[in-house]
Amino acid sequence: MNWLSMVANRLLWVIPTLFGLLAIVFVLSRVVPVDPAHLAAGEQASAEQVQRMRERFGFNKPLPVQFASYLRDVASGNLGTSMYTQRPIVDDLASRLPATLELIFTALLLATLIGIPLGVLCGLRRHSWLDHLLRVISVSGLAVASFWLAMQLQLLFSMRLGWLPLAGRIEGFPPDTVTGFLLLDALIGGEAELFSSAAQHLALPALTLALPAAASVVRFMRNGVIGAINSPSVTYQAAMGFPPWLIVWKYVLRLALSTTVTQLGLILGFLLAGAVVVETVFDWPGLGGYAVRSILQSDYNAVMGFTLCTGALVLVINLLVDLLQMAIDPRGSA
Amino acid sequence: MTELLRRFARDRAALFGLCIIGPLVLAAIFAPVLAPYPNDVVDFHLERRLLPPSADTLLGTDRMGGDIFSRLLFGARTTLTLAGITVGLALLIGVPVGLIAGYYENRASEALMRVTEIFLAVPQIVLAIAIAQTLGPSLRNAILALTLTYWPFWARLVYAETRSIRNEVFIESAIALGASPWRVVVLHILPAIASPIIVRTSIGIGATILTAATLGFLGLGPPPTAPEWGRMIAESREHLPEAWWYALAPGLAIFLTVLGFNLVGDGFRDILDPRSRRGP
Repeated sequence: MNWLSMVANRLLWVIPTLFGLLAIVFVLSRVVPVDPAHLAAGEQASAEQVQRMRERFGFNKPLPVQFASYLRDVASGNLGTSMYTQRPIVDDLASRLPATLELIFTALLLATLIGIPLGVLCGLRRHSWLDHLLRVISVSGLAVASFWLAMQLQLLFSMRLGWLPLAGRIEGFPPDTVTGFLLLDALIGGEAELFSSAAQHLALPALTLALPAAASVVRFMRNGVIGAINSPSVTYQAAMGFPPWLIVWKYVLRLALSTTVTQLGLILGFLLAGAVVVETVFDWPGLGGYAVRSILQSDYNAVMGFTLCTGALVLVINLLVDLLQMAIDPRGSA
Repeated sequence: MTELLRRFARDRAALFGLCIIGPLVLAAIFAPVLAPYPNDVVDFHLERRLLPPSADTLLGTDRMGGDIFSRLLFGARTTLTLAGITVGLALLIGVPVGLIAGYYENRASEALMRVTEIFLAVPQIVLAIAIAQTLGPSLRNAILALTLTYWPFWARLVYAETRSIRNEVFIESAIALGASPWRVVVLHILPAIASPIIVRTSIGIGATILTAATLGFLGLGPPPTAPEWGRMIAESREHLPEAWWYALAPGLAIFLTVLGFNLVGDGFRDILDPRSRRGP
């Protein structure tokens, strides 16, 4: 199968997958014991007001009809109105997506910057004290509850030392929106103060998110390097008398990196799930915090919107990673 | 078998993991005996609320004046029950689905795997929060929410493993000898793919404890009086930075427990999965 037909085949499945996802969440949202119209109308609402809400959101129609009309709206790019923010959900999601992406990409960058060199060192110095120490740390990194780690970091760096802000994304008004990434926008606008504020706010959430990811990068890199060192091609290069640093740089590193890249989809999914919790603790105005709040407030249109958005994001990421993998190692595509 | 056990015993990390899990299980079973204040699970003593650790209350007291150490011990019961039942149920659903879908190569098995893909397209925690919120906070509902979102993971794993050995000679010869599909799957395929399942079960319990604690942290676990580690950490938030000990103990408890299961899982992987034993 060549890559074009692979992409076509995968894209063909995106729609039924998203459809199934929406169906599951839709059924979930309509078996809730609480009456959404009641919630939307407020606690003091009269029976008549509740009835009006019911008609406005279409809760009085049978379920399949409601789902069909929801799907029709989705197809035309309308995800409905959030009962909580009273804004179109598309707008809510669009304004929050960059915040989540900024957090995830920063965490990914941190995780690779920390994880790759350490993983390579571990692989090259296998069974040294450094290898053992990092094994303990990386296994530990995967066992920490992220919300607890977030709180401990807040306690130390914000409450006790006062070095970094407790929560939020920036102090004062954000820079003019160009990319939606505050760091980049501040750079583009040339606003040093806003840049440093954004960076300080980003530091703790990104670190919390990056730590378990870095732990898994260390493990993948270590195994990749060990696998590469034992591969026949590297043995051959060594026999040819190339200096060790050249072999490591040109051959071992490349082989090891390609095995780590294949785990990229896994790590990104991991970061996305972690962001849900981390954003809640740090009041980060991203998709994850939005999802948790929407679920807890039974704002089900918003939950559906979030599910659709995340589902699409995950499917696209997986497709891109598979393409990357095919480019690096064409054998798997046979 | 004894050779496997000996290899496991040589793995210091895995033994360390066992040294965490063993006492933890005992602590959970004997919580009513071990806890210095076994009634603090429901009672409250406002006169000694938010006290720092002392000889009387080893790990301090919480906002209701409950002894955190006692509540921690009972919390171990909640955590282990929740994780144990969830992973057990997820295995019971996921393994047969994966086996059947992996054995038969037809439209039905394709459809089954597409269903698992739907579940895996969003982070497990999001669907679990949604289901737990819909059903209402209780231990049973938390188990249900985690199981419903966890079985697809097992179905995927078992499916992939089954597919990878489906066309091996020993399977084909069993079929050629007239073995029924049932017999082939249970007696030939299942034992051959048992190793990755065992390894993943241990790590899966650790992962489930983390997800369950997150549900508890968000207020979607067992209801308030029940001692649950995630909820204890959530409660401590409004008492920071003064009551630093409040979240410390339950957080470390989660960490050590998950660490224990992960280390044991790693140990199993080293002895059961020959692929990970490359080179010297």
